[in-house]
Amino acid sequence: MKRNLSTLIAQLKVELDQCNSLNGFMTLKSNYLGKKGKITLEFNSIKKLNDDDKKALGKELNLIKLEAIELFDEKGLIIKKSTRKGKKYFFDVTLPGKGIEIGSRHPITITIMLIEEILSNLGFATMTGPEIENEFFNFEALNIPKNHPARDLHDTFYIDKEKLLRTHTSSVQIHTMLAEKPPIQIMTPGKVYRCDSDPTHSPMFHQVEGLYVDKNINFCHLRGLLTDFLKEFFNNKKIEIRFRPSYFPFTEPSAEIDIKFKGKWLEILGCGMVHPNVLKNVKIDPKKYSGFAFGLGVERLAMLKFGITDLKVFFENDLMFLSQFSSLR
Amino acid sequence: MKLNTRWLKEILQKMPVVSKLCEKLTSIGLEVDSIKKLKSESIIDIEITPNRSDCLSVYGIARDLSAAYKVKPIKPKVTRFIFNSSRNIIKSVNKKISPHYTCLEIVNIDNMIKTPKVIKSRLLGCGITSINLVVDILNYVMIELGQPFHAFDNDRLKGKLSVRLSRKNETMEGLDDKKYCLEKNTPVIADQNKIQAIAGIIGSKDSAITRSSRNIIIECAYFLPNLIRSASKLYKIQTDSSYRFERGVNPLSHQESLKRVIYLLQKFTRYKRISSSQYIDKKLKKYNKKKIVFNISQFERILGQRVNTNEIVGIFKRLGFEVKTNKQKMTVRVPSHRFDIEHDYDLIEEFARIKGYEKFLAQSAPSINIKKRFDEKENYSNKISTSLVCRGYNEIKSYSFLPKSYQKEFISENSIINIDNPISEDKAELRTSLIPSLIKTYKYNANRQCTDLKIFEIGNIYWRKNKTLISEKNSLAGLITGRKSNLSLKINSEPLTFFDLKGDLTSILPNLEFKPATNSKFFSDDAQSSILQNKKHIGYCGEISEFFYTTESINEPVFIFEISVPSLNFPENVSYKELSPFPKVRRDLTILVDDKISGKDIIDIIIKQSYKHLINIKINDVFYDESNFGNDKKSISFEFQFQKRQSTLLDTEVNNVMEKAINLLIKKFDAQLRTT
Repeated sequence: MKRNLSTLIAQLKVELDQCNSLNGFMTLKSNYLGKKGKITLEFNSIKKLNDDDKKALGKELNLIKLEAIELFDEKGLIIKKSTRKGKKYFFDVTLPGKGIEIGSRHPITITIMLIEEILSNLGFATMTGPEIENEFFNFEALNIPKNHPARDLHDTFYIDKEKLLRTHTSSVQIHTMLAEKPPIQIMTPGKVYRCDSDPTHSPMFHQVEGLYVDKNINFCHLRGLLTDFLKEFFNNKKIEIRFRPSYFPFTEPSAEIDIKFKGKWLEILGCGMVHPNVLKNVKIDPKKYSGFAFGLGVERLAMLKFGITDLKVFFENDLMFLSQFSSLR
Repeated sequence: MKLNTRWLKEILQKMPVVSKLCEKLTSIGLEVDSIKKLKSESIIDIEITPNRSDCLSVYGIARDLSAAYKVKPIKPKVTRFIFNSSRNIIKSVNKKISPHYTCLEIVNIDNMIKTPKVIKSRLLGCGITSINLVVDILNYVMIELGQPFHAFDNDRLKGKLSVRLSRKNETMEGLDDKKYCLEKNTPVIADQNKIQAIAGIIGSKDSAITRSSRNIIIECAYFLPNLIRSASKLYKIQTDSSYRFERGVNPLSHQESLKRVIYLLQKFTRYKRISSSQYIDKKLKKYNKKKIVFNISQFERILGQRVNTNEIVGIFKRLGFEVKTNKQKMTVRVPSHRFDIEHDYDLIEEFARIKGYEKFLAQSAPSINIKKRFDEKENYSNKISTSLVCRGYNEIKSYSFLPKSYQKEFISENSIINIDNPISEDKAELRTSLIPSLIKTYKYNANRQCTDLKIFEIGNIYWRKNKTLISEKNSLAGLITGRKSNLSLKINSEPLTFFDLKGDLTSILPNLEFKPATNSKFFSDDAQSSILQNKKHIGYCGEISEFFYTTESINEPVFIFEISVPSLNFPENVSYKELSPFPKVRRDLTILVDDKISGKDIIDIIIKQSYKHLINIKINDVFYDESNFGNDKKSISFEFQFQKRQSTLLDTEVNNVMEKAINLLIKKFDAQLRTT
């Protein structure tokens, strides 16, 4: 009797070893632990023995049963795992995934979003406005009267005598300042148009302009903000930046900012303190409030950021060009 | 403005090396564009901003540099000459054209003499070719001092000169050999008979100075900038003279400039006699010594840094301003060559410019807490583009312009907005839809062996509501064609269809419905759908119209959509419905119906019944089998889902509803039940 018991586990081990399917495993389990299983039958057979023997043998049988259960649990895990994974071929992780679709945002959109993200963290809110404007919003309110030589800097597309395609998004600043009271801190992304087409000019391009009007806003703030912005945008804390005097009818003092790029100074943006006439035109008292404004050329920034040398590629939309930006979301 | 460094050296006391000089020029707002190094001199090309007409001369630039270098400019040599106010040569001057007009009459001058080399080469460096001695000297002084001149051959003039507005139909043959038929009210210089010059812009060929001219008149004038600018635009002529006049020429320096001319004439040629005539308007004085009074605290408020009164006074004096201070109050008088300075803020810029912008150190702007007013629709665009990119679309950006007459195929010509001054014929009208640009992009890529594509664009479209009213709105459009992404194993590379497009749209935008449509000419008549969101029409999708297939010679099926972004609606919130703990029951139903009955017709009618416990119904499968069903029937399968909130569903409850539904479909659509 005893011998029989000791071989039981050894036999089970052999059979478990040979078993490699879930069905076989289930059958084997019921052969040992089921209602008519070998171990169950042993338990039935000791019922006839006297109390002492029953106790001794019963204890031994319980241990054997526990060991068997443990063996089955162990094997069960292995069998179930291998069944889940199917037949054991070489698991080639290098094969392509299913349903791959890789799109991309246009580099101009990516650039605008980056600018918006940085400026938004600095407190600027996005405002948009119409691309078809009239002379008031695009020129007069911005201190560029008719016949002003500064209009030469803006070769304008006209639709009729009054309507034109905006030459800058500054027009949105006028809309906002007429509608809101200071403090005003906005950025205005959008398309702008100039009647100009050569390798370095496109008749349509993109701008993001910024405006900050409040009490006690000054020239050093402008400098601080744009320095922070450029460091962040180019991800370069040591970027060399140069502020130099320039002229825009809507700002005074006006400045242009150059950055050192590959050893050369490169014009990157125009800015200045909002001209008091502009504030007067939108009924903001220049004695109480001051402000600064700046304008960023998106194509220019995108070209520097991504190393693009040809303005033309932005609007050709060659998939080979576009798909290069798929990793930037 | 091209600046010759040797010439500059004659006026500027301190002359650093060229690279340092250029740095200084740029730092005071005279941006250096390029430097050309010659043997003994350099030509520096400086971009003069439109406000700084006072720097359109060698002397002007030297004057500004002198202020920065703390030195005094050296005045070029002149000949003493007494001007009288005789009117021997001038008959009349319209003061609204020229408040100050001066002429020199020179008798018996020798103009056959060759122009000295140095003058010739300096002019050439500035892009001016030598013509004859008198003209060259006048040009030389213009570049040197900024005052443009004009010279007439007096033997070709009849009577005295008048400065007046033109009458209708007057003509003139210009020095550029072009015939000008003048509009009324153009400012001109005329003799007794005819026009001899368009004021400040171009002279007549008729009275032009030649080498053989003996008796000449030299005109030195101040013309009002606006008039010159309008005329220059109108006749499309820009000359060195008009460029200066329209920006503003010092009205009070005629005598100084003419004395310099006389000096050079004396030096290089012979003449018998010079006499002068001039006209001076009473109001001319107002140009000199404009007074600006301000408080120095303004400087600190705008510049953000403490300023030193002595430093301000020093800079202003070096710029030629007269300054008086009284505690915080400062009174500045501006010289007549500075047209750009009228207010205290102009002076703030002058101070900062000469002091150097780099002296104003960066500060962080005070942060304020403004409620963010993000443009909501802008936000929608970002959401949608993110979703489309994730579904494999490439974003494009294209011009807002389309070729002339391109769009009349699609919409009424009255709605199209034309550009008055287009840059070219193929960019002559504003787009009323993004679709033509998408198709153009498809063609561009197809020509480069890329025929599988999914692209989209977000941009404005524009149209005319009536003669005076114009409208624009943000639009979203996409195009798919070719085969599915080949990035996965071959099994996925099947051709894209309308339903791929519809699937994309349904995935990215909530609550869409699609209804057959024929309204949009961009789409084919028989594969076009209106897109509705929350029952509101927001756009179209479908196959491109036959027009594109033929005119663009496209051979593969192309599917497109266009949606009006302002019409889009993203729910701001949802209200949670409690979940039922009881199991769902699913039933399938397959019926045979007429092909013309749409899936949505069937689903709508079932939903309308509000059957008990029916929580969802959807189409599982549609198929055609001509041999078994005939060619006008289709088989369509539905999946019904039931669930009860309070208890487990009973079979009888479900069977009851299914029976009602089947009877309804038989009655309404003549449906036949199919058992599978």
